[in-house]
Amino acid sequence: MNQTELLDQFIQEARECLEQVGQRLLEVEKSPTDAELLNDLFRLVHTLKGNCGLFEFKPLERVVHAGEDLLDRVRNGTLAYNDHIADALLEAMDFTVQMVDEIEQTSQIDSQADGRSSAVAARLRTLLQNGGKLPGTPAPAQAAATAANIVACAAAPETTPAAVAPAWLATALSAELIKAHPNAVAWRYRPDAECFFKGEDPWLLAKQAPAILHLSIGSQSEWPSAAEIDCYQCMLELIGLSDAPVAYVNEHFRCMPEQLEVVELSLLAPAKPDAGTAAPQAPAKPPAHATMRKRALQLWDDQMALLARPGLATGTLSAVRMALRGLLMAIGDEPALRTAAELQTLPGTASAVAVVTWATLHRPVEHAEGDTTACAAMPTGSAADLDPVLNSPYPAYLGASGAAGTGGPDASRRNGAPANNEESGHQKVLKVGQEKIDRLMDLIGEMVVAKNALPYLAQRAETVFQQRELAREIKAQYAVINRIAEDMQHAIMQVRMMPVGTVFQRFGRLVRDLSKKLGKDVQLVIEGEETEADKNIIEALADPLIHILRNSLDHGIELPEIRRQLGKTPQGTIRVAARQESDRVVIEINDDGAGIDPQRIRNKAIERGLIPADKAGSLSDNDAVQLIFLPGFSTADTISDLSGRGVGMDVVRTAVERINGHCELSSTHGRGTRLRLSLPLSMAVTNVMIIEAGSRRFGVPMDMIVETVRVHHDDIHHFKQARTTVLRGRIVPLRSLHDLLALDDKPHLNEEGEHAVLVVRLGGENVGLLVDHFHGATDIILKPLEGVLAGLTGFAGTALMGDGSVLMVLNPKELV
Amino acid sequence: MAIRYLKKHAALEDIVTVEDAETLLEWLKKQTKPAVNLSKCKHLHAAILQVLLVIRPQIVGEVPDPWIALALQSPAA
Repeated sequence: MNQTELLDQFIQEARECLEQVGQRLLEVEKSPTDAELLNDLFRLVHTLKGNCGLFEFKPLERVVHAGEDLLDRVRNGTLAYNDHIADALLEAMDFTVQMVDEIEQTSQIDSQADGRSSAVAARLRTLLQNGGKLPGTPAPAQAAATAANIVACAAAPETTPAAVAPAWLATALSAELIKAHPNAVAWRYRPDAECFFKGEDPWLLAKQAPAILHLSIGSQSEWPSAAEIDCYQCMLELIGLSDAPVAYVNEHFRCMPEQLEVVELSLLAPAKPDAGTAAPQAPAKPPAHATMRKRALQLWDDQMALLARPGLATGTLSAVRMALRGLLMAIGDEPALRTAAELQTLPGTASAVAVVTWATLHRPVEHAEGDTTACAAMPTGSAADLDPVLNSPYPAYLGASGAAGTGGPDASRRNGAPANNEESGHQKVLKVGQEKIDRLMDLIGEMVVAKNALPYLAQRAETVFQQRELAREIKAQYAVINRIAEDMQHAIMQVRMMPVGTVFQRFGRLVRDLSKKLGKDVQLVIEGEETEADKNIIEALADPLIHILRNSLDHGIELPEIRRQLGKTPQGTIRVAARQESDRVVIEINDDGAGIDPQRIRNKAIERGLIPADKAGSLSDNDAVQLIFLPGFSTADTISDLSGRGVGMDVVRTAVERINGHCELSSTHGRGTRLRLSLPLSMAVTNVMIIEAGSRRFGVPMDMIVETVRVHHDDIHHFKQARTTVLRGRIVPLRSLHDLLALDDKPHLNEEGEHAVLVVRLGGENVGLLVDHFHGATDIILKPLEGVLAGLTGFAGTALMGDGSVLMVLNPKELV
Repeated sequence: MAIRYLKKHAALEDIVTVEDAETLLEWLKKQTKPAVNLSKCKHLHAAILQVLLVIRPQIVGEVPDPWIALALQSPAA
């Protein structure tokens, strides 16, 4: 699993979420009692919080969690939505947006954000406690207190190690090293034994400590023998010396303050008289102009890297020349000024390559005094060589501090090589923005519609103009165009196809983290991750699947002891399998956990007021289990950060149905639960059957149709208002489409006295629709109803037909 | 796979992540004269480094990363 990929995905999703949250917040302000809106808002925040939990973004999670709690109260109606809440939530959202931006840029959150995050979260919590009103002494006071607390914490490690040098200092760092850097900061970092499981890399962290001069590695206790070592228990102890302010070091290790000890060597000085006397003579701080020179050279190299980038914007080149000149003036010694004059003489039309060559040739020497340390040997061959220097994990510090000893020369030696290797490795993948593909998709959709006009044309040629020959030719041409259009459509769909594994990949981490947290032993088995489906479908699946897995982990799989008592293997299994079934993707999530207790579900549903008690009693076990899909349903008595808020399964079903999928749940109490999601491969083109009723044409989505039959009117049984018939030994209720749509006509009978019946499957039951005529099936691009028509739930949408007419597509689920 | 297990030594290349720690440990334990080659290695995860520090295999070739080189030189505990 690739961490950066995950992070990218997180950022993208968080962005989308926040965008919608912002929109909803504003809408809620207009109609604060709209339960649907509040539910929606809450769901979004809930998802966001869940996503934050995947990463160690504590400041972010804290704020989002507080927001979620507040919204939950509002949603339950125990807290009235008011301006204070709105302000606080919007402020929290802005803060979250900032955090996400920061994460995108630096992959981490600045430690300063910690204080602000506490303040924002505290403000939300105050609202929660005070019933939505700001108290007399407003939140900032509390926030300030929290902030002060944080400052105190941060300050603690600086002040405590006063004058006594800890024992580790002498063992790990040689006296000369300490003497040479009297102002440096020594630190000891003892990572947590479990840190590998948290995805930490202590070595990388230590290596990237600011201005590191020395780094030594040891063990926290005696190394065990090879036979008994557990390679996932961290026993390392890292001791380093940094030529940076204490605050920088603390900030670098901010995530693990309790594992870090910091000693400022300057504070130790009085305790060690020899070091103290040595200090003044040592060239402790480089003179200001040398530092400036160093910095100027870095900037110089930055400019080179900029020019080396592909796709240079116009103006960049002249800006670089200005910058170079400025740098030379800033260095200000004689050779630099000479070079600056030379730069002026460079023709204004010089290409980027020319400037790079010039600049690499005329790069000012590192040390004006002719210092012979290793860093002067910086490779100055070509611009490409400079690139890795800038991108190497510790660029400036190593080169700058000659005293890095073993570090210096090695570092400069290796810098040149890797760039060339990487350049030769070519990849023939084209990255295209999604909107371009979507445009192609739209175009092919129009093409399909346009091509469908040809058969009409052929018909007209034959009937109106009596040109049978021409009609036949048009039909032949149509067949060709049809084939090409279909191939094209298929090819574009292929482009949009993604393996479902892209969603599955984040499950490994989720299951591992959650099972650890819950103390359960869970094995995740993934099958068929190479099954492909449309990108939109895959993306829409991500949230529901995470909810399902969380539910399985939290409610499904039992604790190991309980499993053992029940005679199961202590390790629970969650199996996620994807496969293609004709034109649908089926994803099955099985767990061998406790399953769902139908009786408990019934009780909970009654308790929560979701269904009346008498109705609950009459439900079959299987139907009772389906109650978990109701909005607001939750069996958990306490709210954890995993589940129990009653949004889970409702969200799953809504999300799956939005993409034309459906989910089936079956569960055996004590044996496990199985959830089956069936999704269309693509949503772009819908296959519909055209029917006629009251001399109007309607489309019915093909995936709902079971069969078309003709039923003699004598075979229809009337019972009061209801009509039924028997098909293949089963009673099928009949509804007339004319009645449902309030058309004036009665259903037609053909010459044999038969009704045309379209049998559709609705939620596991067959229903017959009486219509007038059947017409063929066709592929259409379904456009949802918009504007004032959007409220018509009886229609799934409209489509433009080849002859220019508009086809209304029915939504039998809502209609019947 | 960032580790290639060869006849005489294991070649650790590019970025070696924590996932490889256990396999590497098992492999090194099986060798009579364990040896690793780090010459193409850009970064080692701390867990890998720890394995190397415990087993102390012979280092074949030079170590490009100065900090790793320094860490592996430090006296065995």
